[in-house]
Amino acid sequence: MSDHQKIRKMLSLAAAGALDQRDEELVVNHLRGCAACAAEAETWKQIGSALRRLPTPQPRASVVERARAQAQVRLTEEFEHRWNRAMLTGLIFFAWVLTVMSWPVFKLVTGGLIGVLDPNFHHVWFLFAAFTATAWIAGGAAAAILSLQQRRERRLA
Amino acid sequence: MSWDNGVVVDNDVAQLRRGDLDALSALVTRYQNRLYRYLLRIVRQPAEAEDLFQVTWIRVAEKIQRYDPNRNFEAWLFTLARNVAIDHLRRIRPESLDEPVGDDATGETGATRLQSHEQPALEAIVARERTSRIGESMENLPVVYREVLTLRFEEEMKLEEIAEVLSVPLSTVKTRLRRALDKLRVSMEVRFPGETWQ
Repeated sequence: MSDHQKIRKMLSLAAAGALDQRDEELVVNHLRGCAACAAEAETWKQIGSALRRLPTPQPRASVVERARAQAQVRLTEEFEHRWNRAMLTGLIFFAWVLTVMSWPVFKLVTGGLIGVLDPNFHHVWFLFAAFTATAWIAGGAAAAILSLQQRRERRLA
Repeated sequence: MSWDNGVVVDNDVAQLRRGDLDALSALVTRYQNRLYRYLLRIVRQPAEAEDLFQVTWIRVAEKIQRYDPNRNFEAWLFTLARNVAIDHLRRIRPESLDEPVGDDATGETGATRLQSHEQPALEAIVARERTSRIGESMENLPVVYREVLTLRFEEEMKLEEIAEVLSVPLSTVKTRLRRALDKLRVSMEVRFPGETWQ
């Protein structure tokens, strides 16, 4: 392909301002000595100008207001969800800490200070562990059911 | 976009990430015309573009926490809008993603649909005719070419920003831009033979 043909292919991109500096210089230098390409470049320039002048359609004001209102509601919901998630995580962490801490306290109250160091398990311990596990499983199941219900409601909304 | 505008947008985006409803409102106002125009260029139907406009802002509210502040907000916003529009086209008119489509059954031409709701300024008749013809010819291009033309010439985005919006390499943007312009010109020559641009 000759230089002339190569440059001619670049003219549309030149009108779009999409050439790198080196190609831009090549085009400018070529246009100085080639009337045909200069005319072609002018055509592309006019096309580019017409594209830039296309009328800007505007959305109806009611549509913009509805979009704004819906987005604001969703943003508020998103931040409420984030807050709820953070709160729930904090509460779970706190509950675990409390549970773990309560075991030695429970032992201390029921068996005295030496009992804390006693590694032997007895039936009171097993009852206490069973109660804790049941409470956690019930809490977890309730949270899962609530979450599913919320998700279903959100989908329907 | 000027430096001042950039700072204002950055500030609004930072406020929005903290859940500020006024910042969201300011961004909707700032981008309403550009975003709607971009969506309309992709889907071509005003009613669909209006629906997608609303969906896009809801997506912004949902995803703003995942937005990386180091990225260009405009590119991020237009990427969201593009994804919404392309999903819509894929669902409603999958053929429109590949093929150019002619004027619809309403008899309304592409150029009239592209017109602003406001009265256009009094321009020279020739320039108006030319612009109208360009709009009509552009509407007949495939969506990949329409969007690259609108991003470059109407949104005046840099090539790097366009590459980010379209999720393609810079070289692909240049190739699409060149092909889009070539096809636009061929389309104009076919539809309006004898048109001179000198």
